[in-house]
Amino acid sequence: MQKLIPPVAAVLAIPLAVVAYHIQVRDLYQPRDHAAAIITVACAFVAAGAVAWWCRPYNRLGLLMMAAGFALLLRQLRYSHDALVFTLFFALGELCFALVPHSALAYPSGEIRRRAERALVKVGYATVIAFPLAMLLFHASTGRLIDFGDPFPRKSLLMIDGNDDVVEVLQKALVVVFYLVLGSCFIAVLIRRLVEAPPRMRRVLAPLLLAAVAIALRAVFEAVFTFIDRPFAYDYLFWWQIGAFIALPLALLAGLLRARLARGSVGDLVVELERTPPQQMRDALAQALDDPTLELTFWLPERQTYADAAGKPIDLPRADPRRLVTTIEHDGEPLAAMIHDPSLGEEPKLVQAAGAAAHLALENARLQAETRAQLLQVQESRARIVAAGDEARRRIERDLHDGAQQRLVALALQLRSAQHQLRGREDAEVENLLTTAAEELQGAVTELRELARGVHPAILTEEGLAAAVESLTARTATPVTLDVQDERLPAAVEATAYFVICEALTNVAKHADAANVRIGGRQRNGTFVVTVEDDGVGGATAGESSGLRGLIDRVEALGGRVTIESARGAGTRIEAEIPCES
Amino acid sequence: MGLRQGLPCTKTGSPRYTGAFSCVTIRLVPPTVVVVDDHAGFRRAARTLLELEGFDVVGEAADGASAVAVARDVRPELVLLDIALPDASGFDLAPALSTGRSRVILTSSREHGDIGRRVRESGALGFVPKDELSGETLRALLGKRCKS
Repeated sequence: MQKLIPPVAAVLAIPLAVVAYHIQVRDLYQPRDHAAAIITVACAFVAAGAVAWWCRPYNRLGLLMMAAGFALLLRQLRYSHDALVFTLFFALGELCFALVPHSALAYPSGEIRRRAERALVKVGYATVIAFPLAMLLFHASTGRLIDFGDPFPRKSLLMIDGNDDVVEVLQKALVVVFYLVLGSCFIAVLIRRLVEAPPRMRRVLAPLLLAAVAIALRAVFEAVFTFIDRPFAYDYLFWWQIGAFIALPLALLAGLLRARLARGSVGDLVVELERTPPQQMRDALAQALDDPTLELTFWLPERQTYADAAGKPIDLPRADPRRLVTTIEHDGEPLAAMIHDPSLGEEPKLVQAAGAAAHLALENARLQAETRAQLLQVQESRARIVAAGDEARRRIERDLHDGAQQRLVALALQLRSAQHQLRGREDAEVENLLTTAAEELQGAVTELRELARGVHPAILTEEGLAAAVESLTARTATPVTLDVQDERLPAAVEATAYFVICEALTNVAKHADAANVRIGGRQRNGTFVVTVEDDGVGGATAGESSGLRGLIDRVEALGGRVTIESARGAGTRIEAEIPCES
Repeated sequence: MGLRQGLPCTKTGSPRYTGAFSCVTIRLVPPTVVVVDDHAGFRRAARTLLELEGFDVVGEAADGASAVAVARDVRPELVLLDIALPDASGFDLAPALSTGRSRVILTSSREHGDIGRRVRESGALGFVPKDELSGETLRALLGKRCKS
């Protein structure tokens, strides 16, 4: 139903245009070509406005342009000889000249954002209403009005004191205030918008240049007509401004539709976005809004933050002139936010419409992002648990080293001193006892040292993976070829790689019956890749309770993965890829 | 104080002073040692054992700063230095203590395989696990130095 308003209004403009033309010709004695030209300008605004409104119902620009066209048609009624019609339309006649700059300033979004521009438009409306009303108060029926070319009197129903001089002053003041002062401000504002606009936006704003030219021509025309008794170049000025005013609505419409054509109708957009799977939402919105830089973020109510599709928290840009944020809400709750090119800010209703159309798919995408965020949280928590475990192991190793080991070592030295002092006393029983005690103690020291090393080798913390693996393989029975890069890595990566190698070597010793083992460790594209290969019997699996399973869990906790190739009789190859950056 | 023994020397010929420690045909004065370790129990046990085995323990220190001060005062022939001190690493401290005639032997309750290559890089004479400490092991390391 709403869609019918623009064409119906455009059709209604036709009889009004006929009436306006006749009044121009019959009551004002306007030459027919001039009358037709003025009516054509009005019809151009009505037609362009109707098309714009019909194509983009979310944009107020079409409505404004239609209003300007209708106002220009109605303006012609003030030339009527009928007192009521004259009074009414003389009072409202100049409105069209406020609506035209209003349309230009509202281009292309249909809204005026800057406070200064809104103020300018308001002053414009006030001026075009106040001055004619004031003139009507002093207009004597015999008085001549400047742009009324015919000799016939018009009667003002509002007259309180006929005074032609006052009317003349008011008419001239209107030209000075509206066309010269406000017109200059308007042209300055347009030029400022063009200069400040980013390059993409400047192309869109090009029709505003035409608006500036049209208003400038109109101002010169009015000034010449008002202040010079025998207007020079009247015809040229008339036709130039007519040309500019016919071109202006067409240029605004073309500018509006150029972006529009690339996108198809809002209806298509709605249908398309409703069918888009959640994972393609960003691309679909970027295409629909013709902004490849568009980023889509989702509101995660539990975490009170926005996150990308992968669930990673994102801070929305604030006060960044290069990016604009449009928040999409559903049932009063934030759902998502689009971070996009500022030029889309000129079409907020289209962006909102796209967001609203996509709300169902966005809701799904948001749930996916929320799930991913939870997964990410679990992943981070697993990594923290592994890091905490490593730290606990390091602490236990340090405590063993600083406590029990030191005491046992001191005890061993004291026993050795006692043995030394007993030498030559020929007390074989005590000497035997001391020797046995010293041997037992040495065994305890060695076992404790092994335990501490198994918990967390100090050499790994102090010298890194290569030295730790070298120390480890020195105690391995199977010959090992080492090719581990000698560079420090994050502690969690070193510890994980070390325990992968430990577990693999334990498996080799227990099950592989291998003659040779080869250990490699290299960093590639931010990932540390550890390989342990043997030429044994193969057949290794990562069963639920095996040490390998625990290792896979550990590597995956850091976001890595483990591959085991172990065909029977073909040896075993274990490869762990561990990301170096969390 | 037990019987003082001279260092066995592998060199022959006329007596001469080599700078690092006396390397003479017959040695009557026991080598002087400073024990540096933050565990008092270990220092005590090491002092008793080394003195029984023919060394003269002329000083002790519990951390890096006092080790440098003691070594400067007594100028020992040998500093038995723990690798993990509260205020410094023995590896970092070894070059500062290996001056004049003083030489450093590093020690730890860990074993050699757990220490890695840093012993060599520190300029110390060698490394002795604490549980293997004896006059004999120290002399072997000092002798190795004498040969080189």
